[in-house]
Amino acid sequence: MTDIAGEARFMGAVTALTMHEMQNILAIIRESAGLMGDILKVNARVDFKHRPNMERTLEHITTHVERGKGLLEATSRLAHSPDDDMLDSCDLAVHARVVALLSERLVRLKGASVNFTPVPAPLPVAVGALRVLMIGYQSVQWAVGSGTKDGHVKVELEPGQDFHIMTVVPPQGVTPDAKALDCIRKLLDDGRLEWDGRMLRIFFPVRK
Amino acid sequence: MDMSTWNILLVDDEVEFITTLAERLELRGINARVTHDGESALKEVAVNEPQVIVLDVMMPGMKGLEVLQRVKEAHPKVQVVLLTGQGKTRDGIEGMQHGAFAYLMKPLDLEELIHTLKDALQSGRGNRHD
Repeated sequence: MTDIAGEARFMGAVTALTMHEMQNILAIIRESAGLMGDILKVNARVDFKHRPNMERTLEHITTHVERGKGLLEATSRLAHSPDDDMLDSCDLAVHARVVALLSERLVRLKGASVNFTPVPAPLPVAVGALRVLMIGYQSVQWAVGSGTKDGHVKVELEPGQDFHIMTVVPPQGVTPDAKALDCIRKLLDDGRLEWDGRMLRIFFPVRK
Repeated sequence: MDMSTWNILLVDDEVEFITTLAERLELRGINARVTHDGESALKEVAVNEPQVIVLDVMMPGMKGLEVLQRVKEAHPKVQVVLLTGQGKTRDGIEGMQHGAFAYLMKPLDLEELIHTLKDALQSGRGNRHD
């Protein structure tokens, strides 16, 4: 781990606690909206003027609680990434999903979206969680370049014998800055990356 | 299964969350008692042993995992479903190692909770992980 480990741990610990509070807040909002929805259902025959508005509003709450849940999980994983048991290895399957969740906003600001294809089994790699998140996030940032309209950044995983691979495919028509790859490459101590002009493949050594 | 006969105890220090959850269960014909900390939960279990406890892991005072262990020592037949934070699977896994039936992440999906309660009641023992 680098010399900023202490700072990263501090930030992680404080963020994790805050995320725990956020989770309780979301849980209360979700259950309260759920109860209102239940009551509307129980009284389905009782008509009142603003019933459709109320039902629509409850739908919005539910949709955005779900959205918040994803962000909460991702931020919580980020916060726990400097934990002792995450320093030298992690599950690439989980953390690649976290990369996609965390980079959604960044990519949307560039007029694109992130498509992540999950894999069913864990992919243990001999790289710490924080490092995987940095590499993944910077790769998505690199892939989206200076922006595109209606494009998709694809994040995919390929299980392997010696290396598990994270693939980042930039939106069509976007030519990412080749120099930015050096920054990502520097983060890969025991891994490597390949850019074939169409997709970036990042090789993470398998945890034996 | 007749849900009105279920004996459920909900334990969470977030009062608005857990009382609203109890109300939603009640609307579905499930009676659930509520306590807000580990000590009260243990007292409640001693007086009226529930079939299933839904237990928050992170509470002030006695933590959920300690409550789980004490319940399992004194009342091994009681099934415990843990509530953990998003992305905190470690707590859930540790809980499973201490005999929890399942763990669910907050915010909850009510239908998933009811499904888990049903499974917990049907299986006298044996663990399940969501």
